[in-house]
Amino acid sequence: MSEQFQDQISAFTDDELSAQECAFLVRLLERDPKSRDRVMRYSVIGAALRGELPNPDPDVLLRGVQAELDGTGAVGRAPDVLPGPKRFFRPAIGLGIAASVAVAALALLNVANGPTGISDQAPQIAGAATGVGLQDRPSYVVPLEAAGTLAMGDALSSPPIRLTNYLITHGQYAPGIRRTSIHTNVISNEGPRVRASPPPVQER
Amino acid sequence: MNRPSSLRSLAGTVIGCAALQASAQDAQQWLDRMAGAVEELSYRGTFVHLLGDEVETLQIIHRNDGGRISERIVSMDGVGREIIRNEDEIYCILPDRQIVLFDNRREVSPLVSALPSYSEDLWRSYEISLLHTERVVERDAQVVAIHPRDEFRYGYLLWLDSETAMPLKSQLRDEQGWTVEQMAFTQIEIGQDISPAALEPTIDSEGFRVIMPPENAVAEDAPQWRATRLPDGFQLSVATLTRMAGSEHPVEHLVYSDGLATVSVFVESPDSEPEVTGGLSRIGSANAFSFEFSGRQITAVGEVPAVTVESIATSFTSP
Repeated sequence: MSEQFQDQISAFTDDELSAQECAFLVRLLERDPKSRDRVMRYSVIGAALRGELPNPDPDVLLRGVQAELDGTGAVGRAPDVLPGPKRFFRPAIGLGIAASVAVAALALLNVANGPTGISDQAPQIAGAATGVGLQDRPSYVVPLEAAGTLAMGDALSSPPIRLTNYLITHGQYAPGIRRTSIHTNVISNEGPRVRASPPPVQER
Repeated sequence: MNRPSSLRSLAGTVIGCAALQASAQDAQQWLDRMAGAVEELSYRGTFVHLLGDEVETLQIIHRNDGGRISERIVSMDGVGREIIRNEDEIYCILPDRQIVLFDNRREVSPLVSALPSYSEDLWRSYEISLLHTERVVERDAQVVAIHPRDEFRYGYLLWLDSETAMPLKSQLRDEQGWTVEQMAFTQIEIGQDISPAALEPTIDSEGFRVIMPPENAVAEDAPQWRATRLPDGFQLSVATLTRMAGSEHPVEHLVYSDGLATVSVFVESPDSEPEVTGGLSRIGSANAFSFEFSGRQITAVGEVPAVTVESIATSFTSP
């Protein structure tokens, strides 16, 4: 990674780039997973330094930041049952949120990056066509701003509305307690918000 | 080791295994009771929903009138979105968008479906155990832990009312034990008479845009697409070809379940415009993965880890 590229990433995380520079950087990051991960780590660390992570336990936060610095993403295992209200705001979730915020920031400038269609030769396996596998998961981002604009202008073409449809239909096939949760997500205060993906699941 | 101590050891092992089995059976019974309670009881209450650092207060009213189930959930924060489910339909009122979303209540043929149940198959995918008892909203509650055996599903911690098995508090947990989502009643009345008026929406939706599924919402053809690779324990439980609100073209809807977690996969018609952004996204505690394949938009949705929706969606084959 060139020094200039690093400077750009640093400026990006400090919100010092113009919209045009951001767009250019995003295009570069789309092709560079390592740099993308670096941006996420910078953002997490930045959030931690600014004290924006919710109610962190200092030890867990330290381990979490260290893990992010190491690039392992590993945070200590939680006990099976944790007493008290501390579990409401878990530090790891805070880290995940901070990482999501970082990706969402990229998402504001990103274009839809879904895999393109391929030929109709049957049978085909979708995963093979998209190159998506469990071992090599790309980092997907969702254009939140674009989704919001569509929602205001044309609800039918809005991703959240379509996803809301999917959720409502899906909820009808879920066990009772899960259906309540799904419906709760549908009507949550700010609606079924589409978020950037959380950090990848750590391989065992 | 002499004979008496060997016998004691063997007896201890047998007793231990028997105790574990008894605990497992007890936990199974609690889950069966819970499944019935959530649907069959009449209740109303206020609960908080915690997701990450977001907290929201909601009210739920659930009425069983001789087997006719109605339910209304309303957010008590913000603009007060509502979702109402009755015998025939389910609709969601989104006042902030001036939209009412309708969907038909699904009548799933037993020939093509096997809705999730708390069956013995659960043990393949989860470790289930009874823990301690606690007081929750001034009621005694039994705590039941459901721990996933792999990374393809979430676990649960449930506080079930000792008297009715109604879940008073629940946590959705990932494989590492971190809480993904929590719901907890702050006040609940169980078994009270609930008037039909309590199920009526409080939002005046006049002038709102109503998005409904077209008539003949269920198409006659059978779905053609299938997943070729499923996480252990998941199996196809529902396969329908349906028309959804806002879409003229039929959508293939397949539901995969491990008995507790469910994943829906929607395969849009090639004539439909792709409306869901590609890639991985998160909606509350649910994850979704969407992409275009052979001219069709394929989207998997479920309250499961992201890796699960992505794994199932990307294994779909064209017919």
